[in-house]
Parts: sequence; C-alpha cells; structure tokens
Amino acid sequence: MKKVMYLEFERCIGCRACQAACRECGGHDMKERNYVEYIDFTESRQTFPMLCMQCKDPACAKVCPANAIQITEEGVVLSAMEEKCIGCRNCTFGCPFGIPKFDFEENKMYKCDMCYDRTKHEIAPMCASVCPSDAIRFIDHEEMMELRRKRTQMNLIEGKKPSENDKWQYVPEFFGVYSD
Amino acid sequence: MKVLEKSFYSKASMYSFFVVMILFFSMWIGTGQFTKVDYMLFGYMVASFIFFIGMTVRITAWTMRPATHEIIKRSIQNMKNRNRQKRNTKAIAKTLFDNIILQKYIFKRGIYRGIQHWLIAWGCIGSLAITFGLTFGWMHFRLVDATTYQMVVFGIPSISMHPDGLLASLVFEGLNITATMLLIGVIMAIVRRIKNHDLQVTQRPEFDLLPLYILLAMTATGLFLTISYKLLGGWMHPQLQLLHQITTVLFLVYFPFGKLFHLPIRPMAISVPMNYQEEPGVDTKKCLGCGELYSNDDQIADVQTILGKQAFDFQTKDGHQLSDYCTGCRRKIRVMSQLNMNSPLGEAAGPVQTNNGIHLPGFGRGRSEAFYDNRVKEERK
Repeated sequence: MKKVMYLEFERCIGCRACQAACRECGGHDMKERNYVEYIDFTESRQTFPMLCMQCKDPACAKVCPANAIQITEEGVVLSAMEEKCIGCRNCTFGCPFGIPKFDFEENKMYKCDMCYDRTKHEIAPMCASVCPSDAIRFIDHEEMMELRRKRTQMNLIEGKKPSENDKWQYVPEFFGVYSD
Repeated sequence: MKVLEKSFYSKASMYSFFVVMILFFSMWIGTGQFTKVDYMLFGYMVASFIFFIGMTVRITAWTMRPATHEIIKRSIQNMKNRNRQKRNTKAIAKTLFDNIILQKYIFKRGIYRGIQHWLIAWGCIGSLAITFGLTFGWMHFRLVDATTYQMVVFGIPSISMHPDGLLASLVFEGLNITATMLLIGVIMAIVRRIKNHDLQVTQRPEFDLLPLYILLAMTATGLFLTISYKLLGGWMHPQLQLLHQITTVLFLVYFPFGKLFHLPIRPMAISVPMNYQEEPGVDTKKCLGCGELYSNDDQIADVQTILGKQAFDFQTKDGHQLSDYCTGCRRKIRVMSQLNMNSPLGEAAGPVQTNNGIHLPGFGRGRSEAFYDNRVKEERK
C-alpha cells in the first residue's frame, strides 16, 4: 500500500468533525478514538488533531502483559483483543503519544485502528475523509514527500531527521501504512 | 533450578517434562498401576497429553515476555507481603467471583455476548474437567452392590449414589449438560459473527471463526452420540464415536495455539486490583505536568521497568520519563515539540512563549547560536 496519513496541526480549525466521523466507524461502538485538543487555551484557540501513529515497534504492545495488542500485516496496530485484555492500562502509560483510551465500564482498552476495514482497501479513514481544512489527510506517499519538501523550505521541524532514540520528540514525517 | 534448567534445551521443555511426569504418575495412581485404563479413551488420552504440553510451552513463552514477567513478579511480591493480605484476599475473591465465575464485564458489553460467552466458557471448562478426569483415570465408577454406585477418585472410594437417583443422573449426564451449554453458546457466537458488521472490521476467519467451527463439530458429534444410543438404538454408534474422537482430538490439540488460549491469561486480571488500582477508577499518582491524578506509583514503576528492559528511551529533557505525565500532557508535549513551542513543560500555569524573536511565532525552531556567530564572522570578512 502506498497511501499514508499526513497531519498538519496548524491547519486544524477545531470543528471536531473527525471525532464525529470516528464515532460512526464500524466497530468503534459510538466512541471516538481520536483527539482534538487545545495546544494552550490561555495562549490561543489553536487546536490540534491527534491519532495513533501506528508505530512499527509499538510501546503499547510491548508493555501489554497479556500480549493483547496485535499488529496487522499492513502495519496497523489494533485495539487490544477483547478476549485477552485484562484491563491493567499499561498501554495507556507506555504509549509515548498518549493515544490508547480505556473503558472502565467494559474493562477494555480501545485505540485508533486507522479504520482498518477502509484503509486496507486504500479508502481514507473516517477522520481524514471529513476533515474540512485538510489537517488530516490520507494521501499518496509521493504527494506527502512533495508537501514535506515544501515544509522543509519553510523551516518546519518535519524536515529534520530524528536520531534513533529521540523519535518520539518529532511527529513522524508520515505514518500509518508503510510499504518501504 | 538453574542447574536443572541447563540439562534441558529450554525452560519450556523443562516445564513440559515436569508436567508430563506429574500427569503420568497421577495416571499411575488413579488407574491402580494402569489396571483400569479405559482403552476406548486412548485417543483422547494422547490428545490430552499434547494439550498439556502445548499449554505449558505457550504459558512459559508468555510469562517470559518482559511485560508479563514484571507483572507476575510484583504479584508474587505482594502475595508474600503480610501487610497486604487483606487487600490480596479481597482482590482475588472479587476478581474470581466477578470476572471469572460471573463474567460481569462481558455482560456489560452486551447481554447477548454475556450469555453466549458464559455458556461457552463454563461449557468448555466443565467438559475439559470431565474429559481429563476420565481419560487420565483420575476417577472411575464402581458398582458396590446392586443398588449402590460409587465414584473412586485417585483410588480412594468417595461418594456413593443410587444409580437412578438425581445425583447419579447429574453425574452421568455431566458431559451432555456441558455440551448443551456449549452448543447453545457456540451457535449464538456464530450467528453474532455472521450478522454483526462491526465485528467484521478486524475479524479474521481463521482466528475468530475456526475455533467456533471446531467447537461446533465437537459438541454436535458428541451430542449425536447420546441421541444415537438413547433414541436410535445405537445406530452408527462406533462410526460416530470415531468421528467424535477425531473432532475432540482436533480441539484439544488446537486449544493451546489458537484464540482459546485466552483462558489461562484471564486469571491475571487479579493483579490489577491487587497490584495497581485498588478501587476501579480511583487513581493516586499525580501527573507531573497538570497535577491531575492519572495512575499509581507501582504501575508507573512497572511500566518504566518494562520499557527500559526493551530499550525504549522515553526520557524527557528534565530527566523524567514520558510516563510520568498523563496522556493529555503527553499529547501536548508531542505537539509542542513539533510546533517548536516546548517551553511550558513543568509550569503549566505560565503562558506559552511562542515568539522566539527570529521566526514567525509558533511554527519555526530557532537555530543554534553557532549559526548566527558564523554569519557575523562571514560578514566581517
């Protein structure tokens, strides 16, 4: 698969359409799995969207004592398998991006799965398909590289390569379903 | 133990060896030095040995994962701690009753799912208990006199009953009862898997449906055996018996390697109230960034150990770990870092300094001082 997710935080207008769309996605059980939050409410009204980076080596799966978090062959990190998840919340503390959510009522963790049934057929996930300001995009790898070069010219941080151990400090230049 | 371990290829093979030895000797005692082995059950017996070896290998591999190892280590520590006995007992009793016997959390995910899972789970556990009891010869029945039937457990005569009594019929129909529970549960589960579109998002037929079909084949052939000898006068009984044996062997051999392996994982849920969160939803540790309660000290210590063991380096500039912050603060740290505004960490109350005097506020990152020094030098030349 050649398509990748691409986020541009400063494009976010805080309409939360992505969250409404996320609730509607199959298997999401009417609960949103992404975030729209204020960067700093005392400073400005700028919001940012946040979803799972679908890490290649996910910390959430590595801290799970039940081995419940599975990665599909396309590279999507799925929610904890309901039959295995013991509800310890280790994943929510292990994730460097603070993505997994926990449902105390049903005693299970749930997280962004990139709308697996859509993206595996190269259809944009719900959030990207409704975002009116293109803050969340599901685009070709080539197109992403083009956008990224432009941003580098603007001296934005994505142009900088993280070293091996400080990856979490940077937004991945692109994420989601990799092909290499 | 370490010396002993060296005489085996791996931990898994060592534990498998012990398990096989224990089973073998329990069989030796139960069957009176192998005088009362039921040869009709030979296929089941071999499959049961494979089942136990498979379970041992899988459980050993699973407990060797750093995350699992850490949580089990802390559980054992807490179990030994005398000051925590009250909390431990409460945690074990509550989890056992709510999560394993009644499975309340599944009922909260839906009544249909709850009933379905409860029937499958207890049908399975009951059937397995009866199967192992009989195949390993741990118990057998004996006719004391014309009206008394007796159960012999490990060679020790135990309860006696009247062959037509209620207790006797319950015991003799044990497998039929559990199989009926299983059959109802499995049909409910298959219907749900076919009808519910939400499930099909991440469902894998070979992982989620195959075990259900195996269970269905096993229970259907097993119950048909009863129908055959009770209603059809033993029609096709030997062939049906063989068919049931084949499906059961398939099930027993598959059990440790497929979805059904979640059975031995579930009891670990005890460690959550025992080690981490005593009351559901009540936290005791403060977030470093915003000061809100988000976790507890023991759990964060465990998570940090596990991450450290697997070479994840999540240390922030001020020497803390990312897991010292709550999820909201972690998301903010990420965005601040990307947007070049990572000043306010540590003092959330202060305003964010977005203007660094060089770039447009917000979206640029300042160059190092050396860069400007060089430019000044170049201009002077």
